Amino acid sequence: MVILREGMCPGLDEDLLRSLRAADIRTVEDLVSSDSEELAQKCSVSYKALFAIRRVLLAQHTAFPVSGADLYEELLSSTAILSTGNPSLDKLLDSGLFTGEITELSGGPGSGKSQVCFGAAVHISHHLKQSVIYIDTTGGLTASRLLQMLRSETTNTDEQMEALQRIRIVRLFDVYALLDCLYGLCGGGLQQASVGGGSVKAVIVDSVSAVIAPLLGGKQSEGMSLMTQVAGVLKTMAKDFSVAALVTNHVTRSGSGDVQPGLGVSWSHVPRTRILLERVETAPSVSRSSLRSATLIKSSRQPCCIKEEFDLRWWSGAAGGASGKRKLDQAGS
Amino acid sequence: MFQIVCLISKTVWIHFVPIPDRTEPDKRPGTALLRAAGTGSESDRARRAAEEEEEDEARVEMSESGTQLFARLEARRCLKDIEPRLFPDDGGPDHGEVVEVYGPEGTGKTELLYHLLSRCVLPEAAGGLEVDVVFVDTDYSLDMLRLVSILDTRLNKGRTTLKGLSTSPSSAGSDEAALHLCLSRLLVVHCSSSSQLLLTLHFLETTLSSRSSLALLLIDSMSAFYWSDRGEGGASISKQEEKLSKSSELLGRLLRDYRITIFATCHAIRRSNSGPSSSETDRPFLCRPWQRLVTHRLLCSRQEADPDQAGSDRGDGEQRRRRVFRVHCTSSSLSSTGTKGSRTSSFRVTDGGVEFI
Repeated sequence: MVILREGMCPGLDEDLLRSLRAADIRTVEDLVSSDSEELAQKCSVSYKALFAIRRVLLAQHTAFPVSGADLYEELLSSTAILSTGNPSLDKLLDSGLFTGEITELSGGPGSGKSQVCFGAAVHISHHLKQSVIYIDTTGGLTASRLLQMLRSETTNTDEQMEALQRIRIVRLFDVYALLDCLYGLCGGGLQQASVGGGSVKAVIVDSVSAVIAPLLGGKQSEGMSLMTQVAGVLKTMAKDFSVAALVTNHVTRSGSGDVQPGLGVSWSHVPRTRILLERVETAPSVSRSSLRSATLIKSSRQPCCIKEEFDLRWWSGAAGGASGKRKLDQAGS
Repeated sequence: MFQIVCLISKTVWIHFVPIPDRTEPDKRPGTALLRAAGTGSESDRARRAAEEEEEDEARVEMSESGTQLFARLEARRCLKDIEPRLFPDDGGPDHGEVVEVYGPEGTGKTELLYHLLSRCVLPEAAGGLEVDVVFVDTDYSLDMLRLVSILDTRLNKGRTTLKGLSTSPSSAGSDEAALHLCLSRLLVVHCSSSSQLLLTLHFLETTLSSRSSLALLLIDSMSAFYWSDRGEGGASISKQEEKLSKSSELLGRLLRDYRITIFATCHAIRRSNSGPSSSETDRPFLCRPWQRLVTHRLLCSRQEADPDQAGSDRGDGEQRRRRVFRVHCTSSSLSSTGTKGSRTSSFRVTDGGVEFI
């Protein structure tokens, strides 16, 4: 909804605005949908002037059709595939996170969602030399863990610091702050963040369900509306700035007992690619196991339901089983 | 053909010279004709005519050039045969009909749109229809790379069947050109809010009136702004549905005036609690004006993997277990004497897109 304002376009002055309001035309949509001829009579303005205003407003506020050929050319030059650093995950994702898309990791507590996010962030900043924005909504990110991952990659402290510098961390704990942050990123924040080094190629939201899930439920639609707003801004950001968006989600059980990603059916249409992470149950020493399985449950490129197993210790260079311990219980949030 | 167009164009111009200036609201078109004929030099008049032509495009009811009339009524290709395997016998979508593709996530809705889209834009040699398509992407779901890979596979298939199995490496350039030609038949619009959708549809009217080869409008998806509209509209349902119903009314007018065909997806927004075939979850939830437009409804669902099917696939050395998708079509087409028909078909998704089985 765009309210008509003075000076929005040439010719739309105060008098005209007043007479339009008298005719119950308040928004651009009203003006465009109404019959210009009738309106010209009602407001006693020149038809031509009104038509010109309509045309300018339309041009200002519509999305322009782009030829598929041009879109493809543009896509070829702007799309990048960001490797997560883990070969099994990359295989599932068809060689990595695609810019311009939303990829979702879902899984229960301790299934390694955050660890995968850390690993991807470190890999993108260190190996690909691109900036990453990490939106942490659970307080689960610690710099020391990132550093630990980096240490296994390089022993050079300067390089480690450089890589850490390229990871921007935003801590926020409610949906309004998340929306504010995402809109800020779209409105220039992404360019600002990319000043020191490579441009921002990935935005990670860990976890998106922690801020949205509390709003859902009941008969009110407020929460759903906020959720679609988050989804919308993530999608536009991914597309317009060609960044890869990686979000994490919790899991629930369906009526038949199957594990499925949370946030309901309306959210399920949002991510382009969805991966379900699960623990691999091994022998008695279950608690120490860092083996996880990843199942592709939605993709537009690969056949679904491929399963891969990987070791969370991959990113820390098999530095020890302890790495899996620092995981946050996110299912409760 | 061209001469006819010119002829019509000329005659209609004489009768419908639009009003150059309407300072006084009660001016009649007739007087405007006299004024237009009497004023200005040749170039001035030409410029004004061009100006008026643009105005015309947006005001079809009142005046239009013959070319536009011709484009509007005659040239659009009928898409009845867009995918015979999907619709009941002889029940494909006619001019001005709307097909709603409905289903939950991951049931092949967008994939189905890619299939129809590539069928439309591909050259006739590769089994296409060679018509222009507008893709209104409200979900940001259009995956160009996927579409290109589908087009590529189909172009290649068409070529190999034509020339036998020998594909020379020198044809890479012509491949690129063919693909480019296909893609240039496609127009993509991204919309990020329901009001933008409404304005964009208004804007698209100009495109429709100037491109007579444009026969298909794809909307993915119609329900994208359902929740945000619900949230913005306050307590009254009519206010909540205002923008979508306005868009639907506009679509209705575009369908009537330009005789295009629309395919639109609609997401299922309720999770089925009581089994996959509950009627509650499949109930249409979008506003009434939209429901009235819909003449065909394709219900998409995923067929649970058949165990012995999967086994035989694996036996064939087929590592990728492909899912089978099912589409149930119900149509209440007005043109085919009001008969209702239905048909169920199944397809798999392969590298080359949808493959019916």
